[in-house]
Amino acid sequence: MGLSFGTKAPPTALSGEVVVSGLGKSYGTSRVLSDVDLVMNEGEVVSVIGPSGAGKSTFLRCLNYLETPTEGTIAIGGARVVAGGKRPDKSSIDHLRRVTGMVFQSFNLFPHLTVMENITLPQRNVLGASKEQAQEVAERLLKRVGLPDKAKAYPARLSGGQQQRIAIARALALSPKVMLFDEPTSALDPEIGLEVLAVMRDLADEGMTMLVVTHEMHFARDVSDRIMVMGNGGVLEIGPSQQVMSEPQNERTRQFLKAVLDR
Amino acid sequence: MITQLLPAIAQGVGLTLYVTGASLLFGGVIGLVLVGATRSPIGIVRGIATLYINVVRVIPPITWLFLIYFGLPQYALRLSTIQAAIIGFSIIASAFMAEIYRSGLLSIPEGQREAAHALGLSTLTTVRHIITPQAFRVALPAIATYGIGLLKDSALASTIGVREITYYAQQSAEQTHEGLLSFIVAGALYIVISLVIAVVSRRVDLTLRKKIGVA
Repeated sequence: MGLSFGTKAPPTALSGEVVVSGLGKSYGTSRVLSDVDLVMNEGEVVSVIGPSGAGKSTFLRCLNYLETPTEGTIAIGGARVVAGGKRPDKSSIDHLRRVTGMVFQSFNLFPHLTVMENITLPQRNVLGASKEQAQEVAERLLKRVGLPDKAKAYPARLSGGQQQRIAIARALALSPKVMLFDEPTSALDPEIGLEVLAVMRDLADEGMTMLVVTHEMHFARDVSDRIMVMGNGGVLEIGPSQQVMSEPQNERTRQFLKAVLDR
Repeated sequence: MITQLLPAIAQGVGLTLYVTGASLLFGGVIGLVLVGATRSPIGIVRGIATLYINVVRVIPPITWLFLIYFGLPQYALRLSTIQAAIIGFSIIASAFMAEIYRSGLLSIPEGQREAAHALGLSTLTTVRHIITPQAFRVALPAIATYGIGLLKDSALASTIGVREITYYAQQSAEQTHEGLLSFIVAGALYIVISLVIAVVSRRVDLTLRKKIGVA
């Protein structure tokens, strides 16, 4: 019996800031995500696009275990979780959440806390930062997202775009290795969305590793290094942004891009 | 006449407030435990808590008081009238408060928990700093309404001899034969206390609402 060398390297052999392999999720018999692979280098920005119901958000939310994947492995910035079988231990999930920061479509700021408290509470609880340290970080980040004068405001007093920028600052305050964005501008007016996109663009320029589920095609094309197109719970194609936008390989991708770009 | 009746009946205000306040406090704390139990991953714990909440609420308050004050001594548990009243009303309040908390918890958008998870906040911090303050804000008007209800129910404590407002009103009525006036005075005292509770809770509610907006 001769040794056969596999055509596919085992997942552990891959290196990168993000290594996702064979990720899948089923509810009973219905499969919402199947066999998603993704390797990202440090500083890389990948946009995830595709029609609704394609599994984009589910994929993203599996990466920090807001959804529990049923198969595959996730390795991000030193944290590693193998899905399926027994529920993975809480400490690896905590680790995964520690190295990722997430920005939601609906911002999800804590409405009963001021902007400052929104940004300092997680630092104090998760990092054990002192009040002074946490405030210093918060002030620096508020400047960075262009809202240095809003520290004392409550979220209800802010516009959607401002709330989302605060949410980005809140996530950044924990120094994540990878930022996950789940349709960060979908709940915003197109004009207001621009201020959020500008912050994300700066973040990308500064070398943050980012995975962005989005319907903003300009952002996907101009800011991200690669575009991953999803459909029907799987990856349709993935490649350099310009290439996917101008010469999509997959028929379903062509259809989708035509629908989005022709409108 | 009223100058004699008012001070006589107002002697009961202290115990009315004491029984109502203590029961609301104990009931509020036990209610927290109960609502936690109804969300327990362990089925039997959930079942017992749900059963407790539903059974307690359908038994009339006066039945609870008689059961505790007249029933328990049969098993050598003799309580003072005030103890019996507070225990009875605390049991009842705990079931109602659990229901009020539950509606408060349900009003919190799922995104709040998700954000807490994504940030990696501990369960304790999430419950203490994220969930509870928001649930409390939503539940506050219902808690105030229930507090006023409990204040009125506390009159039942007079039936086992707690010297609260209604007890003294009854006593005055018998001694002075001014039945109508005695109970009007008692009613007026309940109105005043209720108004204070309502106004204070409304104030707090408006302040919170102005500050953080409607959740």
